[in-house]
Amino acid sequence: MDNKSLNISLLLCSLLSLTSLHAQTDDLLASLSNDMTHFSEVATATKQNEHYQPYIISVFKGKDLKKLGVVNLEEALGLVPGVDMATDNIGIKTPIFRGSNPSAYGQSKLFIDGVPANSVFFDAYSEHLKMPIEMIKRIEVVRGPGSKTDGYNAYAGSINVITYAENFKGFDNANSIVIKGGSYKYGMVGFTQNYEIDNFSIATDFSYQQDDKTLDSGPDGYSSGFSLDYSGLNTALGRTGEVLMWSETYSLGLTLNYNNTFYAKLRILDHTQSSGYGINLYMTDDKKSRMKLPNNYIELGIVENIDNFDISIKGGMKYDAFNSDARLAPDGLTYFDVKKYKEFLTDSDPDTNATAVLQTPIVWSDGMFGVHSAEQVTYYQSSFISYSGIKNHNINVGYRVSQEKTIAMVSKLSSWATGDVDLVDYTDSYPFFEDNVKRDTVALFLEDSYSYSDSLSFLVGINYEKTSLSDPLYEPRASMVYQHNIHNIFKLLYSQSHRNPSWQEMFTQNNHSRIGSTEFEPERVEAYEAAYVHILNSTNHIQSNIFYLKNSDQIQIIDSSNGTFANTGKTTIYGLEFEYKGNISTRDSLYLNYSYIDGEENNREPLSNVAQHMFKGYYSYDITNQYSVSSVFKYVGEKERIVNNEETRTDPLRAYTKIDLTVRYDSNKYNYSLMASVKNIFDADIRFPSKSKTYIEDYIQEGRNFMITLEKEF
Amino acid sequence: MRILTLLFILHTFLFGYNYNDMLLKAQASIFPKIMMLDKKLEEKLIDGKIVYTIVFDEEDHDTALRISEFINKNYKNNFDKYSYKINLVKFTDLSIDTNASIIYMLNSNKDIKKVADIAKQKGIITFAYDINNLKNGLLFSLMLEKSTVLYLNKENLHTQKVDFVDSLLQMVKFIDKGNS
Repeated sequence: MDNKSLNISLLLCSLLSLTSLHAQTDDLLASLSNDMTHFSEVATATKQNEHYQPYIISVFKGKDLKKLGVVNLEEALGLVPGVDMATDNIGIKTPIFRGSNPSAYGQSKLFIDGVPANSVFFDAYSEHLKMPIEMIKRIEVVRGPGSKTDGYNAYAGSINVITYAENFKGFDNANSIVIKGGSYKYGMVGFTQNYEIDNFSIATDFSYQQDDKTLDSGPDGYSSGFSLDYSGLNTALGRTGEVLMWSETYSLGLTLNYNNTFYAKLRILDHTQSSGYGINLYMTDDKKSRMKLPNNYIELGIVENIDNFDISIKGGMKYDAFNSDARLAPDGLTYFDVKKYKEFLTDSDPDTNATAVLQTPIVWSDGMFGVHSAEQVTYYQSSFISYSGIKNHNINVGYRVSQEKTIAMVSKLSSWATGDVDLVDYTDSYPFFEDNVKRDTVALFLEDSYSYSDSLSFLVGINYEKTSLSDPLYEPRASMVYQHNIHNIFKLLYSQSHRNPSWQEMFTQNNHSRIGSTEFEPERVEAYEAAYVHILNSTNHIQSNIFYLKNSDQIQIIDSSNGTFANTGKTTIYGLEFEYKGNISTRDSLYLNYSYIDGEENNREPLSNVAQHMFKGYYSYDITNQYSVSSVFKYVGEKERIVNNEETRTDPLRAYTKIDLTVRYDSNKYNYSLMASVKNIFDADIRFPSKSKTYIEDYIQEGRNFMITLEKEF
Repeated sequence: MRILTLLFILHTFLFGYNYNDMLLKAQASIFPKIMMLDKKLEEKLIDGKIVYTIVFDEEDHDTALRISEFINKNYKNNFDKYSYKINLVKFTDLSIDTNASIIYMLNSNKDIKKVADIAKQKGIITFAYDINNLKNGLLFSLMLEKSTVLYLNKENLHTQKVDFVDSLLQMVKFIDKGNS
């Protein structure tokens, strides 16, 4: 080989080597870029980068909550800044966000793995609040209407519960089995189990829980002379003492996923609880009196990425029901034939006949019983496209159509005419609920997220919604997120939203405690929010925000004597929330939040049934790798009573401080944990406010109680 | 409110440290790839291997072990064409004699400048779990912000015997006094 050939060979070798090096570098860069994209996606999906999102959001991990001894979703939500819990005479519990209309149910929306879970009948999700914490991987709570999930309106807040069906490459979930027992003869068994075969995965969770709870109670609605009052004859029939609050719940969740493209999500929830304080405000001692609230859904969907387009198409069906089978009045009730009375009211000469009926007492010597049932189905379909082909923009557009309808209704009651205890079918002649009702909804959604620079981004969007029962609504949203540097983030948010009336607010009839109406408008809110987040490091942050909410057309019962729902006027709410999450050593974790809520109702009165100050938090300390001790505390300030002609109580509802203590042992060798918790350790007197003239001593909650949990991961 | 204000002020002095599991995994996946984009990596091999040294405080031994297991599971004994060894070293045991092709520093209340000085003398790259340690002389960190952001302290780059491909420098966000 001559010199020239040798030089050419060397040059070729060098070129080949350089080309190979370039190829390697390109591969490495591509792999690096893929990794960064993957972790960005996972961080966004799991809200790890919550601080940079255009929401005011608090995220709680199931793993952390378990360690604190938190039992279920309800207890977990009690930790959220600005969120208080309310209940009513039928035992429906509702988280109240920032004091917004504490007597309404549907101002917050619950999503389980992205599937809407509020019932149609109440627009509530009380039956899901008992979801065991062991079934929950993460809870994301957005405060304010800033959250719009796939075209759904969140009015005061939205809660997204993520189960262990969520799975990402490199972040596998452990399967688990759990057994719990505690006060009130509480018992629970459950498991989570995931299977994966090639591109196909199945995730399941199951739980069964029951208790035999009773709570203290003051005089019921009969004793206070409010319910079915007949010249004071029934007042002595009312009860005071222990109210039955037992419950039994089965829940099965199933998620099928193929190739991360096709999915099916199914949940069957069967929840039964005692009649509690009574749908008719009679506190029965009949243990068989109960209310069933099933809530089942199935959703099928396709998620696909094609170049710059992310496409999501989904459709589903949901079933919920209200089914009460209960004693509604005590033995010896004296009243009149209300059915006949109302019939005369519609005749040409109502006064004489109606008055005669009114003046003819009937005695229900064996009490009054009733079966009331309304079953609803919802069909929905939605499609969303996200387009990122324009530099610095991410455009989302979509629609959602749905139909909600009542498919069956039953109304049976002891005889109005004779006072005989046997049930008479009043489904056609005197129903408790309007039959064959439905609501069609079309919602359109457009949003553009624009990154002006690495540190400054904007989001603008608009929602359009038209239902068959209300006028169209256009609701804009705008936000700005400014990352001043790695430690300091500022947010400004503006949004509008609304809440459509629930079925019970529209279609309940012939009932003493609530009467529906379709003559009112949806509740509306206009929200202004500003937030500041200070990130100390990857596990320590402080978040503070202020909010100003202009509410109009709030739906409430205006006159408890006839129980009719109506738009009651305007409410202005403002306040601040402060949140700290972090640790003061490597062995502990600390969480604190404080919220201040103030405002006025109808331009003059203070907010009623709202705690102005709430202070909550937890501290958990790992004594060793096996033993840890945790405490959860909650202070809820006093609540002013509503100012109206009916409310006779002048003293505010007292403030309370609840402290829980938990000790946990983890066996790292056998992968199990054993926990013992004492809840409300100082036996604080906790009461949720009642409506005027119902349970005048309010709804007394659990005193000191305990819980033992054994969980095994595998 | 006074209590809250006091807590806020005290916190800046008192806060401790824990680990974000996802951030640990992201760093354990991404940092080895950055290391391999150093054109002078060959010069840093020890016995023909990359020695990936994780420096930790005593109480973080389990965390260091978890990272080591995660890297081994992900990379299966090879960073691209190079075989590697993970060296777990307590902060107190770290010295100029410690074998290291790169150093990944977990959290520490101790003097991080010691790590930076050793890396400087050895001419090797440093990665920090905590971005706050870039101002103590370490080179790279990674944060899960709106997207995954790789931070590089350019000031410290010139003090190391490293030569990164230009494309990498286009991907990183330089940290300076204005954004730290």
